[in-house]
Amino acid sequence: MISSRTTNLKTRVGQDSVAPWLFSLPAILMLLAFLVTPFVLAVIFSFTNLRLLSPIPLRFVGLQNYVRVFQDPIFYRALGNNLLFVVIVVPVQTALALALAVLVNRKVRGVKVFRTIYFAPVVTVMAVAATVWRLLYDPDAGFINGLLGAVSGGAVHPNWLRSTSTAFLAIIIMSIWQGVGFQMVILLAGLQDIPHDHYEAAIVDGASGWQQFRFITIPQLRNQLLFVVTITTILAFRLFDQVYVMTSGGPLDSTQTLMLMLVDVGFGRQRIAQGSAIAVIFFLIVLSISVAQRRLIREEAT
Amino acid sequence: MRRWALLLVLFALLGPACGGGGGSATSTGGCTGKVAGGPVTVKAWFHSGQGSERTTITSQVAAFNSSQNDVKVELVLLPEGNYNDQVKAAAASGGLPDILDFDGPFLYNYAWNRNLVSLDNCISSSLKANLLPSIVKQGTYADHMYGVGTFDSGLGLYSRKSVLTKNSIRVPSGPQDAWTADEFTQALKTLQSAGFAKPLDLKLNYGQGEWYTYAFSPIIQSAGADLINRQDFQSSSGVLNSSAAVQSLTVFQSWLKGGLVNFNVDDTAFLKGQAAVSWAHHAVYADYKKAFGDDLVILPLPNFGKGSKTGMGSWQWGVTSKTKSVDASWAFINYLLKDQQVVAMTTANGAVPATKSASEAEPQYAPGGPEYIFVQQLQSTAVPRPQTPAYPNITLSFAKALNDIINGGDVKSSLDKAVQDIDRDIKDNDGYPVKT
Repeated sequence: MISSRTTNLKTRVGQDSVAPWLFSLPAILMLLAFLVTPFVLAVIFSFTNLRLLSPIPLRFVGLQNYVRVFQDPIFYRALGNNLLFVVIVVPVQTALALALAVLVNRKVRGVKVFRTIYFAPVVTVMAVAATVWRLLYDPDAGFINGLLGAVSGGAVHPNWLRSTSTAFLAIIIMSIWQGVGFQMVILLAGLQDIPHDHYEAAIVDGASGWQQFRFITIPQLRNQLLFVVTITTILAFRLFDQVYVMTSGGPLDSTQTLMLMLVDVGFGRQRIAQGSAIAVIFFLIVLSISVAQRRLIREEAT
Repeated sequence: MRRWALLLVLFALLGPACGGGGGSATSTGGCTGKVAGGPVTVKAWFHSGQGSERTTITSQVAAFNSSQNDVKVELVLLPEGNYNDQVKAAAASGGLPDILDFDGPFLYNYAWNRNLVSLDNCISSSLKANLLPSIVKQGTYADHMYGVGTFDSGLGLYSRKSVLTKNSIRVPSGPQDAWTADEFTQALKTLQSAGFAKPLDLKLNYGQGEWYTYAFSPIIQSAGADLINRQDFQSSSGVLNSSAAVQSLTVFQSWLKGGLVNFNVDDTAFLKGQAAVSWAHHAVYADYKKAFGDDLVILPLPNFGKGSKTGMGSWQWGVTSKTKSVDASWAFINYLLKDQQVVAMTTANGAVPATKSASEAEPQYAPGGPEYIFVQQLQSTAVPRPQTPAYPNITLSFAKALNDIINGGDVKSSLDKAVQDIDRDIKDNDGYPVKT
């Protein structure tokens, strides 16, 4: 009697609620194991003296790790660089990607070749690309100064990666080159989704090319553009590979980033606890920026 | 509510696993004298440095495996660039192999964390007597030997005799006869006006890392300063930021500011003849010798006041606390220390043989040989990197300071920062107490 009632109940409820949970279970478990748990642990570790390798017993140290991070001038340098990177790269890269997408959307012969060329940097491993760019940036033997020298008659001769005034710029240029192809492909897909009759109607109404772009292309691309801006912002905060390979944060911390600092402190210097504190701070910063971004975009939409 | 419960369960499951971190020694007994229980397979990690080192170790493993039936070695080659990081990660997660090679000064940290077993019972007294004193010194932590290298390193100034004599620059005859810092700076300027636009190669292309500490801490040691006070290894204050350190590194910085240093992006500045002096270690010897033959000369590093100093220490072998059998692991290391095997490796990488008998048998290390200076230095002017578990942090702090100095930063404040960081790290670790 009782057993039949429970099975009855189970099937009734189960049909609605168990199946979806079952389907999402693998994803939830993975998220819990690789995202939620490590993060919760990081929060806890950040209040301890945990080290990567140490026989010294674990003890709680209160806010000491946070205090040290906030007292470290490198932290502000890194944060500033990350913000500068976002402020420059997001608009420039998005605009460039849009321009490239419009270009390669033309029905011209051989356009596929150009699409492939612009996309090639994206499929290149970042560490490899960064190594090649390090050679390109060489002040004496590098291609870039060779080109600048030929154009300027030798007047412009920056020591790209070893000068505090150019190193971060060099990283930005290289990053845009590497990332722009990905955005281009997303925007290109959006462009090809825009129904052609919109343009035909606009032409009938006498709209100029610029007007077509401004009042048809851009509004129709809104979702893709939002996606691109969001993803570029997040990637910009994760800036690490190219900096690690090209400058390791130097010269004089001019290319420090939060990720670089986190890896150096947490792994290189074995201070897992202090690294965790940086991770928590990093998370809060990115979270607040994402929330702010969402708010802004929602306002725009209404 | 339930979600929280689930989280808590996960926590309870994963917490101890992640928090454990530190080393838990499983076998610390050392050698018993014989390999027990039939054929034992042990795993050995090796940093894949120069290509010739790789081929040599691979054939050494094959030869060892076929030479006897008790022990079978399985070799794993890992990239050198982040080898130390991989070892650290393996130690933290309990994934260490049986046998490990590691960059010398990291030994003290691994031993302190009980990731290595003492080799005191393994090394025979005749072998110990045959090892270069520098090898024993670096392999020892808290009176126990935890590692032994099959070769040691040599660091000096490579140049070309013809270039020096043509520009009337004195050619020092040995470690006691080094150029003074002023003499060296003057020589660089002479070479610059003789057509070498940037005459000095410091191998800066190796980048900020162990190279900086290995190659450039002899500068401050030659001036009478050091990385840390070696009385008790508790503080760098007044040592690493002493006026001697600041003055000597200011001279170092003046070479860079004066445009005397070649940044050597593609590692060929000396080979192509762009640089006339190359501040380098033994590994470049083979290539340089091939290019310049008998014209090549190796000179001591400049003397900054208290006599020329130089680096020592290279890769060492150790047996981890995770090993299945200390005896089986030691059997392989012992095999690598036979003269024939030592010479096979040092012929491949140009390093100094770790045993006296092997170095005497090799003409280039014998008195009068081109690399004899490296043997001389190891017996006189070479300084071991600080034998303390704090070393991994010391080297990162010094390398960072040096990189800032290279890039034009203020010498004193760069060193002050390093001192602050080193001292704080030692305090955080309760002074890295030795546990017995």
